[in-house]
Amino acid sequence: MTGTSAARFHDEPIITCRKVNKWFGDFHVLKDISVDVFPQEVVVIIGPSGSGKSTFIRCINRLEEHQEGEIIVDGIELGHNVRDIAAIRREIGMVFQQFNLFPHLTVLENISLAQRWVRHRPHDEADQRAMQLLERVGIPEQAGKYPGQLSGGQQQRVAIARALAMDPKIMLFDEPTSALDPEMIKEVLDVMKTLALSGMTMLVVTHEMGFAREVADRVLFFDMGRIVEAGTPEHFFEDPQHERTKLFLSQIL
Amino acid sequence: MTDMPQPERVVTYVNTGEVVNRPAPLLTAGPLAWIRRNLFSSVFDTALTFLFAITVIGAIYGLVNWSIQQANWFVVTLNLRQFMLGRYEVDPEWRVHLAAMLVVFGTGIALAAFSRVRWRTFAALAIVAAVLVAVPVVIEAALPLPPLYVTAGNMPIASGSVTQEAQSRLAFTARAGEEFRIAVAAQASGDEALAVQSGFMDKATNNLRNAAESRLLAQARLAELDRLLASDLLTANQRVALTGERDRLTIPDPVVERYAVNQAAVTVRVLRGTTLEVLAEATLSADSGPLSVTLPDEGWYVLEKTIAGDAPATAILRVDGMYPLLQRSFSRADAGGGSAGRVNQYIRMTDNFLTEAPLPKIDGQDVPFAVIIDNQYRGVRPFADYLRVHLAPFLKLITPALWQALILLALGVVAGRLADRFFSPADRPRRTSVRVATWLIIVLPIVAFFLAYGVGNVLPVTDTRNWGGLLLTMMLTVVGIIGSFPLGVLLALGRRSDLPVVRYLSILYIETVRGVPLVTVLFMAQLLVPFLNPALADIDAVFRAMVGITLFSAAYLAENVRGGLQAIPPGQVEAARALGLAGWQITLFITLPQALRAVIPALVGQCISLFKDTSLVTIVGLIDLTGISNAVVAQTEFIGLRREAYVFITVLYFVFSYAMSYVSRRLEMSGSGAVRRA
Repeated sequence: MTGTSAARFHDEPIITCRKVNKWFGDFHVLKDISVDVFPQEVVVIIGPSGSGKSTFIRCINRLEEHQEGEIIVDGIELGHNVRDIAAIRREIGMVFQQFNLFPHLTVLENISLAQRWVRHRPHDEADQRAMQLLERVGIPEQAGKYPGQLSGGQQQRVAIARALAMDPKIMLFDEPTSALDPEMIKEVLDVMKTLALSGMTMLVVTHEMGFAREVADRVLFFDMGRIVEAGTPEHFFEDPQHERTKLFLSQIL
Repeated sequence: MTDMPQPERVVTYVNTGEVVNRPAPLLTAGPLAWIRRNLFSSVFDTALTFLFAITVIGAIYGLVNWSIQQANWFVVTLNLRQFMLGRYEVDPEWRVHLAAMLVVFGTGIALAAFSRVRWRTFAALAIVAAVLVAVPVVIEAALPLPPLYVTAGNMPIASGSVTQEAQSRLAFTARAGEEFRIAVAAQASGDEALAVQSGFMDKATNNLRNAAESRLLAQARLAELDRLLASDLLTANQRVALTGERDRLTIPDPVVERYAVNQAAVTVRVLRGTTLEVLAEATLSADSGPLSVTLPDEGWYVLEKTIAGDAPATAILRVDGMYPLLQRSFSRADAGGGSAGRVNQYIRMTDNFLTEAPLPKIDGQDVPFAVIIDNQYRGVRPFADYLRVHLAPFLKLITPALWQALILLALGVVAGRLADRFFSPADRPRRTSVRVATWLIIVLPIVAFFLAYGVGNVLPVTDTRNWGGLLLTMMLTVVGIIGSFPLGVLLALGRRSDLPVVRYLSILYIETVRGVPLVTVLFMAQLLVPFLNPALADIDAVFRAMVGITLFSAAYLAENVRGGLQAIPPGQVEAARALGLAGWQITLFITLPQALRAVIPALVGQCISLFKDTSLVTIVGLIDLTGISNAVVAQTEFIGLRREAYVFITVLYFVFSYAMSYVSRRLEMSGSGAVRRA
């Protein structure tokens, strides 16, 4: 991927964050976050828990509201305009730590529901697209089951398929493998790798250093609401500059 | 210490041999283990088990004993229509039947759609129903009906302060070909036998029996007093009191001697009710055989019984083939819609044989007939009489309905399955039946309501004041549930709304209604509403009760649904928002379905309590199941039979409540509940 990344930075950024600040009550979660994400780029965000990395990506599709600064996604600025928020959400897919599949719907219905009501696709077309994506994540035979009947890894792959079904330009991953048994992590990471190879713009919050090293174009390190360090994986893992980064890496590697 | 064997120190036990599963020891699996674990696991447990067993057995023994030996179940069998329909008009009765059939059929489709139907269950139900059909047939073939004892005589018979004359003529009904037999009751020749005699008895015989019974009681008390006075355990005061009682106690003359029971011969005649032609005639005495007549036609007959000679005497006669009758009179509309006048129906209590032929007349006077109040069953009823008189006729009454219900239910299941086979896609094998059932759940109650109520000119509108019994209870319940469901859901959503006005209005409504008893709401609907606006006074009382129940139930339903909404993890809404779904779409497709499914047990619990709470409408003058049992036992024929009526409606309430909770458990266990709970 590194071979192509140089080409990507000639494009306009698809996400622009400028001096984003956010508070939970009195607690200052995000402090002056400024970052650009370019089309087809894979940005991996790591950092200790409570450092604000999840909150940051949840701000990008407005699951959390930021109080200061600006976030521009695909040319639309995130504000209080409901139409803008809806438009941005249509372009962004999100995958959660706890999968958040809809337990009362079958796998197929989970994937086709939003297509029908948000993308206004006919029933058949939505189902076709859902099956296509289930094949892509490797579990077409589970289409008729309910999420409760699937393993964690399978559920997370369905969640990825559900997000992809909306044909998003950007995918946000919020610790997608943290709730999984070690045996199932790989199947999810493999799907994410394939997705990255296909040229999807991805923001990934994760603790999987191997994935970051292998797939990321850029790694951001969050600590106490700030981006403490950023750089290519090689640079980040081999030659970290900041003391906090060194400490963090020494503890997890 | 040194002579103690040192345990061998095993560090690791590596077992590379074949893995063999051995059966569990006897007391860890199987019924014995279950009993030990659940009933006798500790001393306290054992004590509780015995205490519980004794309580239950005691209660059930008392109830069963009473219902076999004492209870008069005629109040149920002869008033079944009232219990079911109240005073609902006769002409549109088929519409209620049709509605009930549709509902049962729809239930079958719903079973096919939402639950795993086991044909085994149906087979078991069919066997039970077949047994219920067979039981009365066997009982009737094997057991005779108890006799009716009547007294002939020419002297007044006194028992306490009540004096009765024996009737000389008694009219009764019979079917063609029935055998009528009359003989002098031989066993009633002594007071001891007379006092414990059981069977139907006319008033004179009853007086004789009572007189014999009280004489025996007096004798027993006298013996008791003598025994006490002979002993030296009494205080002076007690001795004075008991001596006084003994002096006042007089033993009546033996009843059989005083009334010369069965001493003189009796002349009996059986007349045809219409023409008064004599069919049979005999003079019976204690040692002569019975007079037997095969009655030629269906209709009325008259029994004449007189003592031969002028000497004062009585005779107790045992009659087989004559049974107590219930008279019902009402006015009926003729074919043209006008009134055809009063109609008298005479119903034979032992088999519900009904005739509308007029009573026989002799010398221009109606002949007294074997009326139910004067010919009650007396004495401790043997089990055989209970089976023959009460159980068999009741089963015969209800089994046709049971069969209809069972067949319609099975047909509904088959229809659902067939629809799935032909119309459902392979990957969703139940889509059609689920869709049909969902529609039916909404549409059927409405159809049933309008069938019972009427629609404009097509189905004449019925007078809701005549609705009663189970019909009214069901109507109130179903309308209450269906009406309160949308209202309750809206209130629950309103209470969680972001808009303060909506939220506080919802809270105000819910908390106000929950702070008021249902009785108050019903009284308001009946009494207060007409004052608010006189136009509202024209609305039927039933409908006002329905509105009251609906408004009341909605507040509780809202709280249940709110509980379900709160239980949904916030991740569900986040995921839906991240997908771009709008607020109403999230509510409709994501949160509400999950919330409702989570609170199915609470919702069904509420339906059950609503079903039972409808009995409160009795207080505002509607005659639901509870009200009708009060009305039924107010009839002269059934006065004092409140216990029987209440036991019956208790069973009815239980059957329907249990059916509801059974359905809810199946719903939870079925694919729509269990599997989806992640």
